[in-house]
Amino acid sequence: MQVVQSNLSNKITGHIISSMHSPIQNTDICSWLHAVAKSRDKSAFTQLFHFFAPKILKISQSKLSNKTLANEVVQETMSNVWKKAHLFDDAKGAPTTWIFTIMRNVTFDILRKLQSNKEDNLSDDIWPMIEMAEVEHEPFSDHLEQKQILSVIDKLPQNQQEVIKGFYFMEMSQDQLAVHLDLPVGTVKSRLRLALIKLRGLLGVNND
Amino acid sequence: MINHHPKIDLLIQHVNGELPASISAGIKIHSDLCTKCNNQIIELTKHAAKTCLGSQELDSQEFAAESFAAQDHDEEYNFDAQSMINNITEMQAETELNIDETPLSVTFRGVEYDLPNVMKHMSLGKPAQIGKLSRSRILLDEGHIHSSLLRIEAGGSIPEHTHKGYEITLLLEGSFKDDMGEYVAGDFIVLDGKHQHQPMSELGCLCYTVVSDSLHFTQGINKLLNPIGSFIY
Repeated sequence: MQVVQSNLSNKITGHIISSMHSPIQNTDICSWLHAVAKSRDKSAFTQLFHFFAPKILKISQSKLSNKTLANEVVQETMSNVWKKAHLFDDAKGAPTTWIFTIMRNVTFDILRKLQSNKEDNLSDDIWPMIEMAEVEHEPFSDHLEQKQILSVIDKLPQNQQEVIKGFYFMEMSQDQLAVHLDLPVGTVKSRLRLALIKLRGLLGVNND
Repeated sequence: MINHHPKIDLLIQHVNGELPASISAGIKIHSDLCTKCNNQIIELTKHAAKTCLGSQELDSQEFAAESFAAQDHDEEYNFDAQSMINNITEMQAETELNIDETPLSVTFRGVEYDLPNVMKHMSLGKPAQIGKLSRSRILLDEGHIHSSLLRIEAGGSIPEHTHKGYEITLLLEGSFKDDMGEYVAGDFIVLDGKHQHQPMSELGCLCYTVVSDSLHFTQGINKLLNPIGSFIY
């Protein structure tokens, strides 16, 4: 992997940025995102910020023709990158596409607030960051299918296996699972969701 | 089979977030049912992302020259990268996903209909009825663009009319037909002033509609029915 100069001077000037000569690759962006996801790595985030913030600012200035709002788009988009980096999955698409969708969603909600005076933040429903898993509420009735799924479930991380097996094969509710595993319901829900997303990916390979 | 799809320029505006929420929600309902359009949206999004954010340092340099330098000279314009970075990296990660699992539904004449996920945070007006038509407004506050859920009971129809603006109809369940053909769930139907039609549903249907202007009835006695035009709008 390529090493990009990391200069964490407090005073970021144009001079420092333009002295970064090596072109930035998708793999760099991915590794920064992973570093943020894993250990909330500030210097990796700084790299991401310097690569994306100027572009986001430029685009949002032309869309919103208002500097305060354009700054808000940068602030909101980059905050989401920081807070949601663990949701980025490089198997599913390029990091640029992921950040683009965040920026598009943030801009859409700000524009809607401006035009319709509505703070309903519909963007996440129109362009969900994580698609709903349709399999969710369908119990498995087919024995063969169940067998195949069992073998795939074994590939999941241990904590995701627990919730998936409890939910689908022992038919426990999310609340019961939370008590059973001594976890908050929210954690059970998010593990279940992450597991489903992973399962879909694993099963998709065989189903397509 | 779904036969009616949004046009490509509509999809491009959609991925760029340039359409009213009502129309983008309609495209989302359609693309959840139409693999072809869904794939097209994925490709267009990749392309848009590349165009907007894919370029190299040239932009950063330009920006550095324009904006960071401007910081020193232009008091009004304060984009302070470092304090923004400091501020953001103080924030907590969002490890919990709060997903609201309650399905959204609408009830017309005592029958409950499930609604698509994309409508989860949209509020609905009180249902109103004329003959075999029931309608509930979707309260999106988009000015002259009105969105509604429209239920046509079995055997019901809408008198022949044209549109001054445009009308987008997304068939959520059931089917209806007009002189141009028969439509099924998932069909994304766009009509404008050039079209005249008289939709009729044998077995009943539920539609998501986006209308930019009131309808205009064109035939004989139905001209007297123009109040229905504002009912459907």
